[in-house]
Amino acid sequence: MNQFTFEARQKATLGGFMILGLLCMGLTAIGDDGHYTRLWSNYLHNSVFFTGIALFSLFIISAFTTAWAGWYSQFKRIFEAYSLFLIPGLVLMLVIVAGLWGGMHHLYHWADPNTLDPNSTHYDPILVGKSSFLNANWYTFGTLVFMAIWIFFAWKMRQISLDEDTNGTTDWNHHHRLRIWAAAFLPIAGFTSAAVVWQWVMSVDSHWYSTLFAWYCGASWFVSAIALGIMSLAWLKSKGYYERVSSEHLHDLGKFLFAFSIFWTYLWFSQFMLIWYGNNGEETVYFFERMNNYPVLFYGNLAINFILPFFILMRNDTKRKYGTLIFASILVLFGHWLDFFLMIKPGVLHTKHEMSGHHGAGHGDAGHHGTDHAADAGHHVADAAGHGADHAADAAHGVAETAAHHASSAFEAGFSLPGLLEVGTFLGFLAFFLYMFLHNLSKANLEPKNEPYLGESYHHHV
Amino acid sequence: MSATVSTIRQPLIEGGKTYHQITEDICTPTERTPSTAWVIAFLFAVTGLAVYVFCLAWTIWNGIGTWDLNRTIGWGWDITNFVWWVGIGHAGTLISAILLLFRQKWRTGVNRAAEAMTIFAVICAGQFPLIHMGRLWLAFFIFPYPNTRGPLWVNFNSPLLWDVFAISTYFTVSLLFWYTGLVPDFATIRDRAKGIRRKLYDFLAFGWTGSAKHWQRWESLSLVLAGLATPLVLSVHTIVSFDFATSVIPGWHTTIFPPYFVAGAIFSGFAMVQTLMLLTRKVLNLKEYITLEHIESMNKVILATGTIVGVAYLTELFIAWYSGYIYEQYAFYNRVLGPYWWSYVGMMACNVISPQVFWVKKWRRSIFVTFFMSIFVNIGMWFERFVIIATTLARDYLPSSWSYYTPTWVEIGLFVGTLGLFFTLYLIFSRVAPVIAIAEVKSILKSSGDQYAGPNAAHQHAAHSEAH
Repeated sequence: MNQFTFEARQKATLGGFMILGLLCMGLTAIGDDGHYTRLWSNYLHNSVFFTGIALFSLFIISAFTTAWAGWYSQFKRIFEAYSLFLIPGLVLMLVIVAGLWGGMHHLYHWADPNTLDPNSTHYDPILVGKSSFLNANWYTFGTLVFMAIWIFFAWKMRQISLDEDTNGTTDWNHHHRLRIWAAAFLPIAGFTSAAVVWQWVMSVDSHWYSTLFAWYCGASWFVSAIALGIMSLAWLKSKGYYERVSSEHLHDLGKFLFAFSIFWTYLWFSQFMLIWYGNNGEETVYFFERMNNYPVLFYGNLAINFILPFFILMRNDTKRKYGTLIFASILVLFGHWLDFFLMIKPGVLHTKHEMSGHHGAGHGDAGHHGTDHAADAGHHVADAAGHGADHAADAAHGVAETAAHHASSAFEAGFSLPGLLEVGTFLGFLAFFLYMFLHNLSKANLEPKNEPYLGESYHHHV
Repeated sequence: MSATVSTIRQPLIEGGKTYHQITEDICTPTERTPSTAWVIAFLFAVTGLAVYVFCLAWTIWNGIGTWDLNRTIGWGWDITNFVWWVGIGHAGTLISAILLLFRQKWRTGVNRAAEAMTIFAVICAGQFPLIHMGRLWLAFFIFPYPNTRGPLWVNFNSPLLWDVFAISTYFTVSLLFWYTGLVPDFATIRDRAKGIRRKLYDFLAFGWTGSAKHWQRWESLSLVLAGLATPLVLSVHTIVSFDFATSVIPGWHTTIFPPYFVAGAIFSGFAMVQTLMLLTRKVLNLKEYITLEHIESMNKVILATGTIVGVAYLTELFIAWYSGYIYEQYAFYNRVLGPYWWSYVGMMACNVISPQVFWVKKWRRSIFVTFFMSIFVNIGMWFERFVIIATTLARDYLPSSWSYYTPTWVEIGLFVGTLGLFFTLYLIFSRVAPVIAIAEVKSILKSSGDQYAGPNAAHQHAAHSEAH
């Protein structure tokens, strides 16, 4: 069976989940505030998460091709099909872009024109400083142009791979061309992914910055793509496809899951530890917020994405058995979804409080509004007074922030923790991703033909 | 390891070698009198070592006042050299441990020399923090043990102390790993030797007999050490980066430092491996074992890590602006356009721009370009550490303390001297031990020898087994 058939029942099941997702988004909208913050942030969270998985699937193909990896060539079509989700991913992200231009959402504090207006009570000199990067034009440019480049590479590499099936020769002409495209994509992915991560995710906390952030997001997506790959492969095998994929291949995928979970933790630790050690208020505010108001997610993130996969996958045999490997994959995929939740939601909630105060929409936020201003005022002093005053002002800032937290530490459904609606939305997006994946998978041979490493992959032994 | 090898892969051992020829080719350099080239190189190296000993004695006798350090610039060439040498050491562990995990067969041609390089580079690196203490005879103060010094106790909060642990652990594991690999090869030399040499190599080989049990234990130990070495590769330079990044000094306090230092370390380590391998394969006539395939693969690693480092440089630069923090912004303005602009230009030119020549296959496979670039990269990575350390310290928060740092002859002598130390050790190594891991090269002969794999293979049964 070298041809996957996307059965009607599978389509119906995935369609059902997509409807569930839409339903959950609808229900979210009904109970939402005037700016539909919860709905929009759920939408951003899932769009970014799955688009990133598609990007890193392309990255995985490129890296493996460049490194002359042979073992995975049997099932490389899985990652190829994932990477084609970049096209729907662009559509998803363009909705955010449209919302930005139409002022339909308030995901990003920098998008509020009042922050740039010196006469406004919301005037924010720090955001003025960043405004030549944090603006709708750049956001649109980054999303549209960089994603178009990714899509072009995904499409090009897919074309070469498909053409190899019919026209491939033993002088490996197709593969040699593929190597060039793959190698060229790596630096392009390196630069562009950082730029969009700053726009899409980091700028949610519009004051905060960390040089490591883009690589941290990248590691998160990488692990998620591997986890999803393992699950897809196991499911396809259970349906009778990929008969020659053995526990040897799963073992190697398991090693990747294990190693890159540790790598993700390494980046997590590097970012956290350096900020904690430096103890500079402008940086610590990010973790202060998360440790105090999102403790379950903050510590749970480490437990699910590091401790559990580390201990589950440490032994040799657990990487070769379906039960443990799939269990770890499910944990880690959901874990990294939570990781992105924790990256996006606190900043959006903060912006929501600012905005609702500003528009007087009145969700009982007046109190936060006041304290936020105290915090901002502290900031201005710091900027004006130079270094000596910096520390004092940081302290003041910290105090004001703490006050703000006391005011905002009340539980907010869909922000403090993902609720059922968030999980439903996630399932909807996951179904959409898998639908597109299976659709693209059914368009070509499951195993490539005339691929130079196919023999190595069949006889792979670790 | 499966014997199925794609015909797209090029052979890694040329000349249709047999197992016996491999033994002959690699053992011979240790058995004959040294060549003229070796003697001349050794004389140069020992002269460098003498310079080192002289400058070391000068420093200890007169104190580190003989350096151009002052209250603002507490770290100069010393710590620059320290970080540079530690970084160079990284490629050895990367090749032996991480490339082993990724089953990259080309590692067998270069791992022995790279591991030796690691050990010698770490020895050179270790000199600098010790000399920098000024009172070398008090160096044991860095060890935490019950003592009578009262409150004078190590500071566990300091990344400088973590360095002590990280580097000594790294050195120990690297040494064990290297020596473990050498044991069967020493036995091979012993079996060919006579008289006192035979006794000596028998001692070095721990009485290795080559029994199945020996090989089995040897394999297990290698795996355990590879497992230990892998996190160590990341940890050592991560902790070195903490020396800077845990501070609140603009330009040093940035979260990307740990992975970016590791990438830079691998980058410079591979450049030094290239320098050494190009010389070794020529002088010891090992071109059939360290082939153009090996050189090309290493150049690809250099291109990849150089570009990663480039992404990190631009990220730092961009985020410095983006932060809106004026001191951070100024620190980077100062790096690029301040009095040390030439070192920033040198760093960018050598580390990011020039390695891009390796996009061209012809240049990746050119000995001349490779050798030239390997020197270039080493210079660039030295500049990187100098940029980070000197430009930052020369202009700190207090403009009245701003100054300009130029090394004294003693500092230059110490750096040149460690190069002498390094090459002296490497040249001795190339005389007494097989510079290529004989046993490991033999293990890939049947899958990567040019009579078995590649375009001239005698039979290609494996390549077509998938056609059905």
